Amino acid sequence: MSARPLPAQRWRPGFASWTTLVVGVLLLWSLWAIEASPERLARLPSQLAQVLGFFWPVDWDYGHTRVLPAIVESIQLAWIGTIIGAALSLPLAILGASTLFPWAARVVKGISAAIRAVPEILWALYLVPIVGLGPFAGALALGINSVGMLSKLGAEVVESADLAAMEAVEAAGGSRLAAIRLGLLPQVLPELMAHWLFRFELNLRASAVLGVVGAGGVGGLLLNTLRYRQFEMAAAVLVLTVLVVLAIDMVSGSVRRKLLRG
Amino acid sequence: MNRPAPPDRQLGLWFTIAAGLVAMTVWSGVSIGFSISELVCNAPGGSRLLRESWPPDFAFLPRLIGPFLETVQIALIGTVVGAVIAIPVAVLAARPVSPNWLTWILDRNFMNILRTLPDLFWAMLFATAVGFGPLAGALALSVFSVAVISKLFSESVEAIDLNLTEAVRASGGSWLQMIGLGALPQVWPQYAAYVLYAFELNVRGSMVLGLVGAGGIGMILETQRANFEYERVAMIILAVLVVVLLIEQFSIALRRRLT
Repeated sequence: MSARPLPAQRWRPGFASWTTLVVGVLLLWSLWAIEASPERLARLPSQLAQVLGFFWPVDWDYGHTRVLPAIVESIQLAWIGTIIGAALSLPLAILGASTLFPWAARVVKGISAAIRAVPEILWALYLVPIVGLGPFAGALALGINSVGMLSKLGAEVVESADLAAMEAVEAAGGSRLAAIRLGLLPQVLPELMAHWLFRFELNLRASAVLGVVGAGGVGGLLLNTLRYRQFEMAAAVLVLTVLVVLAIDMVSGSVRRKLLRG
Repeated sequence: MNRPAPPDRQLGLWFTIAAGLVAMTVWSGVSIGFSISELVCNAPGGSRLLRESWPPDFAFLPRLIGPFLETVQIALIGTVVGAVIAIPVAVLAARPVSPNWLTWILDRNFMNILRTLPDLFWAMLFATAVGFGPLAGALALSVFSVAVISKLFSESVEAIDLNLTEAVRASGGSWLQMIGLGALPQVWPQYAAYVLYAFELNVRGSMVLGLVGAGGIGMILETQRANFEYERVAMIILAVLVVVLLIEQFSIALRRRLT
């Protein structure tokens, strides 16, 4: 960034320059492999500017007749996906806490890692032929993926919980279940709910692309308008998606902060 | 919700919120046609699909190596390009070191807007602009990486020790020197961790870029699915699972060393 070298001792220079070299070589190799020649890259800015020009004026008519209903559908399937994820992940988060169930925790964490590794759109690929085209398949796909992420994050929350309250309930003669309900849940629920909301934000973005495989939501509209070169309509999809997602992020973000502050 | 609170006033509030959430759920569930019975009725179809997918077609595996390599290359380009661009974007959006109020507010909004669009949307846009193929995917993931890294990184920059930046300023350093010598050296380890995290996301994201024609393993997936070759689809998904998990483990191990 600056003309002078960085103070060398702070960040092991040997390691840093070594990594830069390796990454640089890998980058060049990758660029060569995907045939991104300098000439092709030099043409990019003008190409992008040209296509960007087609997006104006935005087709607002299409915006509220077709795009808004699709966005509402996206929100709905993101919501259902989150509810499925939250409901199924709650028991899994508790079972997945190594402080409470050391043996079960390993199984739960392995399963959730496997679920998370497969992108939601691939789940949707399998669910579409089973339950048919449409938002139901999308909601199930998001639900499955949410379970994976929420049980992992939830397990971490439960692991950091103070176990004294649970012990107190058990010492007073309560069962394990009562200990979880009275000693554990009140501590961890606000944080879990903050994660659920965060997942809702992620699901909303994911739901926007599920339409690509026919699983409902606004993604299908973008794919089709771009495919048929209806750029003004595509612009309506983009602008409205940005606005709605921004608005929901803002509301959800402030609720999350409130939950975490208590 | 179960937290102890003064019950008189709070109870009504919680009740309203809970009713609102239930209403939202019911409305959404009905509109998208959520039904357990449909799920149960379709279970035979589902199990047939699963039987068709089993065993995965291992003979197909050698033909996947090339596309997988391309997928990882796309992710790598996207991460590196995004990581470089994210540095100025993040610094200008960090309140204490941003040069002025206007830059800060503009950059902040720019970052938020970037973050609203999912990676596949960028992929569709770039595929339209520069043609189908891996370059479109690499560009899409570059933009996506800028969004992910700059958001996290600007939060780190906001939390730096400002005494160091002031010291550079007080000894006559310019704004660039203040950033380069006072601010960034404090946050490089976090930066490296965020870049690795973005790489994990990009590897996962690059697996599906092909569904919209932006290169990588997704393109093969799309053709096999269109031909109902479910044994091959299962093979691809299995391979995606293994590759993603391997890269994730590698990245987590590196991140642990960094922080």
